[in-house]
Amino acid sequence: MTKFRKLIPVVSLAVAVVFSTGMLQGQSSDRAKTLGSKLICMCNCGQILTACNHVGCTRSAAMLKEMDQRVASGDNDDLIIQSFVQEYGEAVLAEPPAHGFNGIAWAIPIVASILGLGLVVVLIRNWRHTPVPAPAAPGPSISPEVLERARKQADRETDD
Amino acid sequence: MDLFGSYALLLAFLCCLYAFGGGIAAIITRKPLLIKSARNAGMATCVLVWLGFGSLAYLFLSDNFSMAYVVEHSNRTLPTFFKIPAIWAGQQGSLLFWSFLLSIYVFTALFAYRNKHPELMPYVGVVLAGVQIFFLTLNNFVTSPFQVLGAPAANGALQWISRGDGQGLNPLLQYPEMVIHPPALYSGYTGFAIPFAFALGALLGRYPGEKWIHLTRRWTMIAWAFQGAAILLGAHWAYAVLGWGGYWSWDPVENASLMPWLTGTAFLHSVMMQEKRGMMRVWNVWLVFSTFLLTIFGTTLTRTGIVQSVHAFAQSTIGPWFFSFIALILAVCIAAYWKNRDYLRSDNQLDSMVSRESSFMFNNLILLVACVAILSGTIFPVLSEWLRGTKISVGAPFFNKVNLPIGLFLLFLTGVGPLLAWRKTSIESLRRNFGYPLLVGIAAGIIAVAFGLREFYVTICLILSVFVTLTILQEFYRGARVIAARNGANLLSSAAQLTMRNTRRYGGYIVHFGIVLIFIGVCGAAFNQDKQMEMPVGAQMDIGPYHLSHQDFDSTPETNYTSEKATIAVDRGGKQVIMLYPERRFYPANQESGTMVAIYSTLKEDLYVVYAGRSPDTNQPVIHAYINPLVKWIWLGGAIVVLGTLLALVPNQQPVLAIRGAAEAVVPGMAPTPATIPITRREGHD
Repeated sequence: MTKFRKLIPVVSLAVAVVFSTGMLQGQSSDRAKTLGSKLICMCNCGQILTACNHVGCTRSAAMLKEMDQRVASGDNDDLIIQSFVQEYGEAVLAEPPAHGFNGIAWAIPIVASILGLGLVVVLIRNWRHTPVPAPAAPGPSISPEVLERARKQADRETDD
Repeated sequence: MDLFGSYALLLAFLCCLYAFGGGIAAIITRKPLLIKSARNAGMATCVLVWLGFGSLAYLFLSDNFSMAYVVEHSNRTLPTFFKIPAIWAGQQGSLLFWSFLLSIYVFTALFAYRNKHPELMPYVGVVLAGVQIFFLTLNNFVTSPFQVLGAPAANGALQWISRGDGQGLNPLLQYPEMVIHPPALYSGYTGFAIPFAFALGALLGRYPGEKWIHLTRRWTMIAWAFQGAAILLGAHWAYAVLGWGGYWSWDPVENASLMPWLTGTAFLHSVMMQEKRGMMRVWNVWLVFSTFLLTIFGTTLTRTGIVQSVHAFAQSTIGPWFFSFIALILAVCIAAYWKNRDYLRSDNQLDSMVSRESSFMFNNLILLVACVAILSGTIFPVLSEWLRGTKISVGAPFFNKVNLPIGLFLLFLTGVGPLLAWRKTSIESLRRNFGYPLLVGIAAGIIAVAFGLREFYVTICLILSVFVTLTILQEFYRGARVIAARNGANLLSSAAQLTMRNTRRYGGYIVHFGIVLIFIGVCGAAFNQDKQMEMPVGAQMDIGPYHLSHQDFDSTPETNYTSEKATIAVDRGGKQVIMLYPERRFYPANQESGTMVAIYSTLKEDLYVVYAGRSPDTNQPVIHAYINPLVKWIWLGGAIVVLGTLLALVPNQQPVLAIRGAAEAVVPGMAPTPATIPITRREGHD
């Protein structure tokens, strides 16, 4: 009985390992891998389908198997992707489509870059055209000897 | 001890209220006694938070299973080492941990400046107390870690109970990195509260000059270094633990930690323009505000579970608290800015588009665009569901496509920016500083293409990496040569002297070199390979230059878990190089499993072997092997970034120019004018 009890965790582990892991179907074809990298695993982990092997994933194995079957049946890439979208919704796509409402996701970085670039250029132009303020004091309160020594030291330390 | 902890936190909350209210009264009345008492209340708050956190740690270490939080995240067989991360494994503990780390920063700041900057510190104290009040409200009244277990008694009344054992710690957290990663990340998050408090305090109090910038530079760098180190530790954890062969998946929680680091990086650069030229005052204040807001946003994403993430360990309903707090901070920042915007007017002007100032502007632009792209991609699924009712995903391919060109442009600026002169850079200077590195970089790219490199982005990255490395080496060489010529020392020791004379500048170069290494490491991902197959004992697999043979497979019960472990001999060129032991662990306490990836790491590549479980069809072990080139360069680069930052924090060994004494001797009795101050001590990143 004690021996049996000791075996419980080992058996549990074996059962857990068999039933809790995804991607155990052997090696997928390169095409299936490429297509799988365009999809998200629907187990709510948010990871790419081909990368999802987290413990407890219940979906990736089935999705990859489905992908392999569709690739083997000779469907073209678009058809395969569309069939997944029909089955799981747009959320299965790893990146949002570049059209319609989802296009906004792609547009934001571009718009931010253009606006930012415009802002930077305008700021720099404004700064370039700002007149130099006249010195309030007649001159620095450092003697010419000290300034000269400082210049020489700076030259020594920064020039070739 | 639970009562002690509860009372400590409650007292901390009351002290904090006093520090906040008393601080405001002190600002209004200017009474020294009130200023002192508000400050002391702020420090007492911190000590009480430490006591509260200490009592929670004690409850974990003493296996007190009458506490609901301890039951949820620990068990008796959990090694003591992992009882430490168990303290912050859940929402309640992690929020108390936030308060704890924040209180270390707050105490240090209040204590260090207790007799300094009397015009500024009351404002800083009030802002910090305001932040602490929010977290102490959560710790005390919303999500307290000191709740005891209860059960209805026979008479219907609730009575305290104690469980024999706990549910254990999430297996994903039972790794050494998880003892270091969250404290480092939270030290980064909480550390940005200090520059935020100084910036807002200086703005509210219209504190003259750039003093707050000088005061907060080291605080910002410390927070930034913690944040950067934490991001890399998190990436290493994901790489070594999650077992999917990668280190960065653009997960919302990963993104949340990256965003404040990006704005913090932008701030560390643009702040130099304010220090040197009195420019970018509005920009810098808003960068600090944004960085702090993003740290709170990051905590919100991690703790509220509003977005799907493998890292979001706590899912709860505290979202409205956090969003209200973010809205409140934003409102205060906008109001403070609007009221005092004339205080932030910049003085200086620019002579040329090709100047250090311009490069900083572009650097900031790139960093902020990256931040906007990541932020929009992270929250877009939530927006889509909210506006259209349709769930969509924004995964790694989106972020890679958007951020690759941004990152490469940033790498280019990393090489160009530091070598441009302030105000204006001449063509001759451009030619002298960039001609040779650029030519060698392009030559390296051509050679790589000739040898078969066909990845466009990798080629560009290679060219830029060589270019940036050479510009950095050139800077060290030129400076070291001057010193060597003067004192006869060798170049290496002269370079060390040079670095110690201007730690900020040369520490910065070292950080840039670390970033180059990280970019090189990331580029390696373009050449990843993987192979998965069923491997019963005796089976063999070939991947890249490696030959793997499965030699043994066993199941072993350990104290806290049971493991299934494969023994894989790895040969290369007919010679055995290492034995790898990929394993999978099952934790009976919480009925969860975890992966232990086996990695053979060299500078050229990592052989990354995962025991992926047993095949459902044949019950044979399945091994998934990856070859991930150059990954070690990322960790090496990260270490160099941290090292460079630490170096930049060290005070200069001697002033580069020390003429203040002489100037004052020449004009005795005269107060130093603005013309004398900048050249008395040059510590800037030139």
